Amino acid sequence: MTKLMTATPLEMALLKDLPRQDPVRQRLLDHGMPHRRVEEWKYSDLRRLSGPVESQGKISVKSARTLMSVPVAQKHSPSFMAALALSLGDEGLAFAVAAEAQETLSLELSATAGRAHKVLRFELGKGAKLTLHEIYRAHAGAFANILIQIVLGEGAELIRVIEQDDAPDALLVVTSDIELSPKARLHQTTLGAGAKLARLETHVTHQGEGAEADINGAYLIAAERHLDQTTFVRHCGPHGVTREIFKGAARAHGKGVFQGKILVEQGAQKTDAQMQHRAMLLDERAEIDVKPELEIYADDVACAHGNAMGHLDEDVLFYMRQRGLSEAEARTLLTESFLLDPLERIPDEALRTRLLGQLQTRLRGQS
Amino acid sequence: MLKITNLHAQIENEDGEAKAILKGIDLEVPAGEVHAIMGPNGAGKSTLSYVLTGREGYEVTKGQIVFNGEDVSEAEPEVRAAKGFFLSFQYPVEIPGVPVLTFLKESLNAQLRARGEDEISAPNFMKLARENAAKLGISNDMLKRPVNVGFSGGEKKRLEIFQALMLSPKFLILDETDSGLDIDAMKVVAEGVNALRAPDRGMLVITHYQRLLDHLTPDVVHILADGRIVKSGGPELARELEADGYDKYVGRAA
Repeated sequence: MTKLMTATPLEMALLKDLPRQDPVRQRLLDHGMPHRRVEEWKYSDLRRLSGPVESQGKISVKSARTLMSVPVAQKHSPSFMAALALSLGDEGLAFAVAAEAQETLSLELSATAGRAHKVLRFELGKGAKLTLHEIYRAHAGAFANILIQIVLGEGAELIRVIEQDDAPDALLVVTSDIELSPKARLHQTTLGAGAKLARLETHVTHQGEGAEADINGAYLIAAERHLDQTTFVRHCGPHGVTREIFKGAARAHGKGVFQGKILVEQGAQKTDAQMQHRAMLLDERAEIDVKPELEIYADDVACAHGNAMGHLDEDVLFYMRQRGLSEAEARTLLTESFLLDPLERIPDEALRTRLLGQLQTRLRGQS
Repeated sequence: MLKITNLHAQIENEDGEAKAILKGIDLEVPAGEVHAIMGPNGAGKSTLSYVLTGREGYEVTKGQIVFNGEDVSEAEPEVRAAKGFFLSFQYPVEIPGVPVLTFLKESLNAQLRARGEDEISAPNFMKLARENAAKLGISNDMLKRPVNVGFSGGEKKRLEIFQALMLSPKFLILDETDSGLDIDAMKVVAEGVNALRAPDRGMLVITHYQRLLDHLTPDVVHILADGRIVKSGGPELARELEADGYDKYVGRAA
């Protein structure tokens, strides 16, 4: 990688924020912020999209429950942005669910204008259950970089629901680093809308045997917004199951990105992994980029991925209008029914109802 | 009720070239009457159904479509639907993910709103749906499935008539409703259509064959060839066509 000629204003500011001895500072100096020539950021040029963010911002976490303040754990980080959050994140917040216990936690993470980093950590003991609901609100002018570390103990179950709807000129990167112990179950669903750039990057590692991960998402991207959903699932233990179902739609001048990688290590025999992405371009000026990848080193696995892109069918629209629906109503109904699937799979009834309602509101609010 | 005067229409192909299909149609369907339009392939039958319902790409170049005294030639499809036009499609389309009942409830309420009427309540809508489904032998399961997805040809046509019963239009256009139906299915469909006959409702039955007309007994039969109505007559005209074919009309038009 060549050295950067000039640092961007945001890079300059971050270089000042970082301690001299921090290796992350050297990485930033050498490579800059992630940009399109970095393979993982090919379709989401964070460097180009981030203008100057002069002030220090703040990410506040609102919750009815108390989160413990903990020192930020300097463990390995799955990416540069995660490492940056670990270096610059103020206090870390943690929530633990004891073995065999059940908890529900709802969080609203709002970011004010300016540069802000945050690290949150969730630990589920053996057989513990957590229903975690996260709402992200990055306000105008925010550059919010959040790392979520989650460890699921043996047989633990996490239902995670994420709502993302940020200001059109906000930048948001949420990196989730999720470890699954044997027989642990993850059920994650996102509902995304984009921002100037919003990236929801999810790393899931099947550490042990027989863990299951459902990673689903629905997204509806409005004009001038960009949403990147990147998933990286690593199967290390045998008999692991991964299911990914993403469905999205983009309006004129909206941009969607789905990157999904599944890596099956040599020891992960009998892995059953499937990934599916389907998207609809609601206007010819919309863009959706997709990169599915399977990398398999075990010889007895069942892995597959599928991708399909389409438009709203003119024949269908006419049929619906002939029955009395306006063109806008017909489009809304079709788009909604197209996007429902991942949300209908949310196991928690209250959250399922909430997200289906959110989708309706978002569809009707933007048409 | 429906008065078509000197109607000319063209369609645009994918290269943007216009092709004249309807070349001066005059037709009047009074309320309470059923008129049949028969004609050979390529005569413009389906084009007429799309022009009447306002499909994009079907452009009226001359003439008028007047419905209950109002010129609707330029109105949007949903505006015409709210005024009472209903088209039973020759090829009903699939609407993935949208259940039949959801679709019809939204459609009906959109029409009611457009006419300035109150929306139908959920229980009343369900009651109406159950009654009409029973008339056509449509199962509950079918009503919950996405519109036309995985339906057989016969089921699709029955569903078209079910939609007509639900929306209760003032004017029905049936485009080749008999195609793809076996005898039993056709009887069910024909009964459904007959149930819709009413003094304040007009119908235009577009068909290539006479067999549906055996069940419907139209008041007037028109022969459409090369974009014009070349002959009109009573029900006997349909039987004559069945016996002699369209040859002499195709010849005359060309």
